[in-house]
Amino acid sequence: MLTLDRKDDTRPIIDAQLAAGGGQIVELAGDADWRQAKAEIAGAVRVDIRFPKFSDGRGFTLATQLRQRVGYAGKLRAVGDLIPDQAQHLIRVGFDDVDPDRKGLDADWARARTRFTHAYQPGRGNVTPLFRHRHRRPEDDLAALNARYRDMSPPDILRDAIKNEWIGKIAIMSSFGAEAAVGLHMIAQIDPATPVIFLDTGRLFAQTEQYQRQLTDQLGLTNLRLLKPDAEAVAEVDGDERLWRRNPDACCALRKVRPLDEIIGDYDALITGRKRFHGGGRMALPVVERINGRVRINPLANWDATAIEDYFQRFDLPRHPLTDMGYASIGCWTCTAPVQADGDIRSGRWLGQTKTECGIHTPAQVAAE
Amino acid sequence: MKAVTANRLTDGRVIYRTATGQWTTELAEAARLDDDQADATLEIASDESQIAVGAYLIELEEDRPGGQKWRRESIRLSGPTTGSTHAQATA
Amino acid sequence: MYKYDSYDHAMVADRIAEFRDQVTRRLDGRLTEDQFKPLRLMNGVYLQLHAYMLRVAIPYGTLNSTQMRTLAGIARDYDRGYGHFTTRQNIQYNWPALVDIPDILDRLAAVEMHAIQTSGNCIRNVTADPFAGAAADELEDGRPWAEIVRQWSSFHPEFTFLPRKFKIAVNGASADRAGIRVHDIGLQIVQNDAGTTGFEVWVGGGQGRTPRLGQLIKPFLAPEDLLSYLTACLRVYNQHGRRDNLYKARIKILVEALGAEEYGHQVEDEWAAIRDGELKLPAEEIARIRAFFGKPKTAATAPVPVTENRAFARWIDRNRRDHAVNGLSSVVISLKPIGGTPGDITDAQMDAVADLAERHGFDEIRATPDQNLILPHVRNDKLEAVWSGLVEAGLATANAGLATDIVACPGLDYCNLANARSIPIAQAISSLLDETGLSEKAGDVTIKIDGCINACGHHHVAHIGVLGVDKRGEEFYQITLGGAFGTDAAIGSIIGKGLAGEDVPAAIARTLETYLDIRADGERFIDTLRRVGPDAFKEAIYADA
Repeated sequence: MLTLDRKDDTRPIIDAQLAAGGGQIVELAGDADWRQAKAEIAGAVRVDIRFPKFSDGRGFTLATQLRQRVGYAGKLRAVGDLIPDQAQHLIRVGFDDVDPDRKGLDADWARARTRFTHAYQPGRGNVTPLFRHRHRRPEDDLAALNARYRDMSPPDILRDAIKNEWIGKIAIMSSFGAEAAVGLHMIAQIDPATPVIFLDTGRLFAQTEQYQRQLTDQLGLTNLRLLKPDAEAVAEVDGDERLWRRNPDACCALRKVRPLDEIIGDYDALITGRKRFHGGGRMALPVVERINGRVRINPLANWDATAIEDYFQRFDLPRHPLTDMGYASIGCWTCTAPVQADGDIRSGRWLGQTKTECGIHTPAQVAAE
Repeated sequence: MKAVTANRLTDGRVIYRTATGQWTTELAEAARLDDDQADATLEIASDESQIAVGAYLIELEEDRPGGQKWRRESIRLSGPTTGSTHAQATA
Repeated sequence: MYKYDSYDHAMVADRIAEFRDQVTRRLDGRLTEDQFKPLRLMNGVYLQLHAYMLRVAIPYGTLNSTQMRTLAGIARDYDRGYGHFTTRQNIQYNWPALVDIPDILDRLAAVEMHAIQTSGNCIRNVTADPFAGAAADELEDGRPWAEIVRQWSSFHPEFTFLPRKFKIAVNGASADRAGIRVHDIGLQIVQNDAGTTGFEVWVGGGQGRTPRLGQLIKPFLAPEDLLSYLTACLRVYNQHGRRDNLYKARIKILVEALGAEEYGHQVEDEWAAIRDGELKLPAEEIARIRAFFGKPKTAATAPVPVTENRAFARWIDRNRRDHAVNGLSSVVISLKPIGGTPGDITDAQMDAVADLAERHGFDEIRATPDQNLILPHVRNDKLEAVWSGLVEAGLATANAGLATDIVACPGLDYCNLANARSIPIAQAISSLLDETGLSEKAGDVTIKIDGCINACGHHHVAHIGVLGVDKRGEEFYQITLGGAFGTDAAIGSIIGKGLAGEDVPAAIARTLETYLDIRADGERFIDTLRRVGPDAFKEAIYADA
């Protein structure tokens, strides 16, 4: 049995059900009438469509109708006489996997799954027909991406982003702060060579520096991009090392925004750890947004503190040493305090000021001096 | 008498099966088979589809294609009867 | 003409890589012949009597000089120095090796050509009016729509394993030169009362064993709904077309079995569910593709030359066609030399046509459904240069539309499916009708010849059709009369029992003589036949018996 889709199965509940021996599987003949099949498959967790002969293409229409007219959202499997060259046809009409009569051709199926990068027709499995794709505007992209990611788990979003949509042109930005381990762990499972951008501002807590090394090592991340602010610029504008006090925006610009800008052109998309529950301007955070023309993906946008905590525990991830001391959002030591009693999770950042963001996630303002 | 013929997989050329189980483009070298031999040989030949595609039996009269399909098999043997397109072009 | 963007290039390249992989897997046994056959057919690769045959697509019959030169080069390097233009505006090579075909496809891809879906149970090359973009009677150039349909139908995930082949035609002029009513789906561009253009949709036409004329199921389809409506048509066919009997698997059988009205209802029902969905064609894409097709502009408005050179005059008279643009003409390049093989052309001739098109023809060439070529745009003051070039290349036969402009399938000389030869009969008829001067005198007559009932030579829709059959090892030929392709489409009727091959040319000569005897002023052959009926001609055909 071969999975067709590039993404992993996104229906773990169904698999668990099937594994436990529950849930109905219905097999349909390829020439079944979809209107009659509708009743037969009600409540099924998996529907198999049998192809008596690979040249009998009725199963493709049946699959299309089950997905489009019936709205069947469960697992759909193609069984019977099928050849590897049909892989993309099967994916695009809505099959999740295939169980062909002839076994032992896994490599041929794998190759066929990704043979054509584009499609002239609409279809499932991450396809925009070329007659539309050619004319897409950036707004369409965002809407389509958010729609696609809406019901996907963060690991699946990341897998699609890293292995498909922006393959080779994507990085994660991490502060190696209180929650960073979650996203980094997910990425390490997908591709530990994914670039990890870490802004070494020169003002980090020692514990952050130590945690960064420990976590990188433990997760097996192999592509850390450590960015430091330009030494000359630092000498020029922050010679007295008090810029953070005089003009925190300028200090962030010097130590975070500008170093990031230097290398940001290497990437079409950046992954962040931002979440809605952080509050403030993040409360309406979409999963995919565009900042200064470049895509930002916030796969954990909809995760709350409980979900984060669960993940830490499930995978037994090491914590940032400062979290024990009441720090929930950790930036530079100059501007970070523990969480305040009546504040949201980021209330310890730039305490006593109106500033809430360092600027790397917000549209460019005029460069601070 | 019968012979087994097919088309060569790599280039589609007409081939005939010899007595030693080779495939040749020369009809003269094809094995002459009686009815029993023919059926048995065809079955073997049909398994050789990595060399020969679509094997079937033809009838021979003396050393040339015979039977009802004689013309078709003659054309397969000797090529189109239409004359050369090049010759026609410069006529 | 359409120019590939990087996506189109990628699609063709991916397809070639796929086919190369399929050939490898066939050679090493991972694919059986049974599995490989439909895959190679969908790349235009047949296995014929002597060799493989490769059918290269010429989308809506349009090509330029660079492409024609590539076709010539392929004939030279991989074949026996010639190619054959077909009744569906494609070109066929008769001798390539399977193992060379991926390389041939690479060469074609470099000039934006391919052999995708020119065979197999999938949607085939879309036929168009060969005079599209030039004809004076054109409402709208149908070729942008043919291109849109070409893309939509390529590698369609749902419709790649249909019950049988599927052929679509698009016609944009008031005269039908694409054969709307003898295709599985025919799209005729029309204008509604509000002045907007759209399509009439005709379904269920076809030839072969059971010739049928298509029926109108939709009098007006808006252009942006084209893809969703076609999808609905194909979806109903894919589900309900017969798969138990190869000879009853075309959509014409389904339309006949259900009745056109019921078929139309099922299509409308499916269409209602999808018409406002993701298949709606964006206006930007329609505009993008339309922009590739246009009429040439010229300041030169010379009239058609009047000449004392009789051969040139005859050629102008027979092979020139009026053009929508003042000062231009279209010319038919006949591939029917007297006594020759209809539709065949040598590599040198292909190069010659390329040169003429480039120098004098706005770099455009067309392939026609009667196995000829056209230079659609030629300045009137260049007609003589074109004609001289054609004379030199042996392509100046002045018989476009005459009785010697015969259409013939490859027949038993090449084709696996044939029962009888067709080309030698065509050659004999051509020689006799020319010798006797009958071809010149009889004017417009279509003669089409098939070597088997599959009717790739379209004998059903010829004024005089000839169908070769095999009777106990001997070739006999049935004559049909009264067929017509295009406007006033009609299926010809068999007029009696078959004739022996050697009797056919004389029988046809007598048929034309009869016409010349009884015609009224200005009547073409088909007009006389329709007026008086077949009996007089039947008598003439069997006069020898």
